[in-house]
Amino acid sequence: MSGRAHVVIILLTVLALLFILRLVRGGRLKAKYSLLWLSVGAFMLVLAVLPGPFDALTRRLGVDYEPALFLVVGLGFLLLVVVHFSYELSRMENRIRSLVEEVTFLRHDLDKSQGHPLDAHNPPPG
Amino acid sequence: MSEPRTLVVIPAFNESAALPGTIADLRSVRADLDIVVVDDGSADDTAEVARSLGVEVLQLPFNLGIGGALRCGFRYGVRHGYERALQFDADGQHLASEIDTLLAPLDDGADMVVGVRFGADSDYVVGRGRKAAMGVLRVLTRWLTGRRFTDTSSGFRAFSRRMLERFAEEYPLEYMDSVEALVLAVRGGFDVREVPTAMRARAAGAPSNRRFRLAYHYLRLLVVLGSSRRSQEVVPK
Repeated sequence: MSGRAHVVIILLTVLALLFILRLVRGGRLKAKYSLLWLSVGAFMLVLAVLPGPFDALTRRLGVDYEPALFLVVGLGFLLLVVVHFSYELSRMENRIRSLVEEVTFLRHDLDKSQGHPLDAHNPPPG
Repeated sequence: MSEPRTLVVIPAFNESAALPGTIADLRSVRADLDIVVVDDGSADDTAEVARSLGVEVLQLPFNLGIGGALRCGFRYGVRHGYERALQFDADGQHLASEIDTLLAPLDDGADMVVGVRFGADSDYVVGRGRKAAMGVLRVLTRWLTGRRFTDTSSGFRAFSRRMLERFAEEYPLEYMDSVEALVLAVRGGFDVREVPTAMRARAAGAPSNRRFRLAYHYLRLLVVLGSSRRSQEVVPK
């Protein structure tokens, strides 16, 4: 890799790290998820600054083309992340369902105590 | 001996046309039963119609699907201390006059009673693909439960308090819930029985020509059944 490409990658990685930190500071990204991306960024940074050890590892594993190992590792990591998101999504769906049921019970009780349905003058959206 | 308190759970999605007839049928046969209609995010005035009929209404803010609506109804039943529950279709397919037949095995210790259409499947015209798919499902259900069921999809069911509590906690939340619930009950060690009941021909509903949707749910069900534990859990008596 040429020196110029290294500089570009280092710059991009630093920008990405700053972007993640900004999201966390603005409260738009949970700190627990930021850890994941910050460590990815750190890994990329190390790789860009010191490609030597990674290249050595590639050769030891018998991989001829260095970027191939990088892509395999990256793809594997992304797959794990997506599986994790599916897991979180399932958990959230369960929670939302339970919440929907609670809201439905509350609405039922409220309607009964008021003697008229809540949505008589205030239809639910959608 | 006084009758155990029984709740009729009616999941309803855009059923405002059929609902009055269904409720009237129930009341004419068993006026003592409490009825709760679970409006599953209908676009029509199902909830208003149900309220005007004087039954309890649980109005879900958006469509959860039949399984979600049922679980909500079961939870309501558990919270309000019902000893038994009935699952009853809003579309008039089920007959109130058959309720006593459905409830009878509960006195005998059954946990879940499934009303099976007399001569099940005989008056259904099904395509070859559908038939094969249903065959696979039947074999799988049989393998998982060790029992042969005549009709795994019937939605005319009665539940004991024990079963109700279980289903209030965990009920298959998506389409084709009935097969999954059956497997869940049998493998949980609950006493599941089938009784033959008369049913009306399904009122002119939409024939399911949404094949992809059906196929998706079918595959999903296979995964669920395939991944379910084979070992029997112990049910606290």
